[in-house]
Amino acid sequence: MTNCLPGFDASPVWLSLQTAFTATIITFFWGIAAARWLVGYQGRGKSFIDGIFTLPLVLPPTVIGFGLLLLFGKNGPLGSLLLHLGASVVFSWPATVIAATVVAFPLMYQTARGAFEQIEANIENAARTLGASEWTIFWRVTLPLAWPGIAAGTVLAFSRALGEFGATLMLAGNIPGKTQTIPMAIYFAVDAGKTGQALAWVAVIVSISLGVIVTLNYWKRRQGDGGARLAAEGGIKSVAGRGQKILSRLYVGSQFFRR
Amino acid sequence: MTLQCISGLMRPDAGRIVLKGRVLFDGSTGLHLPPRERKIGFVFQNYALFPHLTVWENVCFGITHLPKPEVGHRVKELLDKMRLTGLEHRYPRQLSGGQQQRVALARALAPEPDVLLLDEPFSALDTPVKHRLEGELLAIHRFFRGNVLFVTHNLAEAYRLSSRLAVIESGRLLQIGEKKAVISCPANRTVARLTGARNLWDGLVLRVDPGEVQVRVPELGQVLTAGVAAPGLQLNQSVVIGIRPECIRINPETGENILEGTVMEAIDGVTGFVYHVRAATASVQQYNLEVHLPKSIAPWIPPGQRCRLQLPAETLFVIPDCTPA
Repeated sequence: MTNCLPGFDASPVWLSLQTAFTATIITFFWGIAAARWLVGYQGRGKSFIDGIFTLPLVLPPTVIGFGLLLLFGKNGPLGSLLLHLGASVVFSWPATVIAATVVAFPLMYQTARGAFEQIEANIENAARTLGASEWTIFWRVTLPLAWPGIAAGTVLAFSRALGEFGATLMLAGNIPGKTQTIPMAIYFAVDAGKTGQALAWVAVIVSISLGVIVTLNYWKRRQGDGGARLAAEGGIKSVAGRGQKILSRLYVGSQFFRR
Repeated sequence: MTLQCISGLMRPDAGRIVLKGRVLFDGSTGLHLPPRERKIGFVFQNYALFPHLTVWENVCFGITHLPKPEVGHRVKELLDKMRLTGLEHRYPRQLSGGQQQRVALARALAPEPDVLLLDEPFSALDTPVKHRLEGELLAIHRFFRGNVLFVTHNLAEAYRLSSRLAVIESGRLLQIGEKKAVISCPANRTVARLTGARNLWDGLVLRVDPGEVQVRVPELGQVLTAGVAAPGLQLNQSVVIGIRPECIRINPETGENILEGTVMEAIDGVTGFVYHVRAATASVQQYNLEVHLPKSIAPWIPPGQRCRLQLPAETLFVIPDCTPA
């Protein structure tokens, strides 16, 4: 691949995919955990915590990047700790993952939370009266019922991580072969007047994003008429519906705030 | 609310819940068993089946800790009893309302609970389905042989399905007992009203004999004889005397408590006629008797016409008047 086109370095594709996949895996677990925790949380400051979790979605990525830079910089609390352990995050590949994870997290968290909240309380209560522990209920009832929403959130988080630019630039910089992802490569190609190269990258990222969305739509349609395990009955349909609603709303949001 | 407290899904403020000698909740010691340790079967109003699991998996849910052959045996037996054989691999959305309800029952019965709680399971159904399901529920009860606690707002439904009735209003237990006793001898005015005893009058005790009480009812301008052995009734005590509308007879030959009246309004119902009658000796202008008569024995009486009614002594009940209306 690296040599298919002379003078064309394909490393941004692999960097982008690696970054997006890693960030998606991290947000998947943390997003679900945070959503589940907050749905059951009865204490004070619930909406404040929700706000903190959602903030990366509404803040300009440069602000997030700057915040992360302060946190992970040589003099930042986490940065100095890591330096102590002999590691430096800023301007390295992990920095692209951290930036992508932080901006993708709210999408996973919000969609998963919507999916959890949509589950009818009595379905979980029925499991309780049938002798199931809370842990069993989560794995056998809550998670399967929330699955369409969680899947939508995963796709959204992946798309967002793939397209991340601002925070990545601030924290990871633009080091070809190391931190230069596709959006970065496009910006600097245009900046350098290499319109052809920029267009090639645009074509790549459009096909990846389109591929993901088309796959998601195909899956949703199959789920719709197949009537397989996933899309069973009212409860879960509304979860899927809600998931899609959040998806479209957040998608618009993420498009708006990207960059 | 009561069912939620019994099942442990909700924590009551105070009190004790004891089931077959096991204390489930004790407000004074703070004991509150979680639902999973209570051995209670709960059928929710909308059944709350697991939509992502098949019928078989739904019924299995509460007994997965048992050895596999036993699970298979028990589920098979339940599905057979509930006439669900052949539907094992369907999902809840592929079932009719009645089938869903039977799955919910089978699922609740599989762990062999000490008591089965039913939360208005018929409230969302139309009449024919409701009637069929009622019949099925009775059959299932014979098979379960355990105690069933059934919550409903429908008196007729409660009476048909139960052996004992508890009347609860705003979280307070007003009366509990054999269903016949609750209906024929309501403990107070509220129970009488809630159980459909539409004719309630204030009165004054005139005479107390063994097994018989005479009460003057100013509103009717009559003295009524009630065949009750109400202990503790005293002369000149103010009481509430009442009769259910279906207990009043029309055009009697002879007997006690006969009164003349005018039909103020006549309603043609599906199974019977409803008459609003004003007693001829009444002190008020509105009707003061409601009479329900089955069409097979009653004639149609147009409004304005006079009629003779009898209030059989053995169907009248007398409540000492200590509760406000």
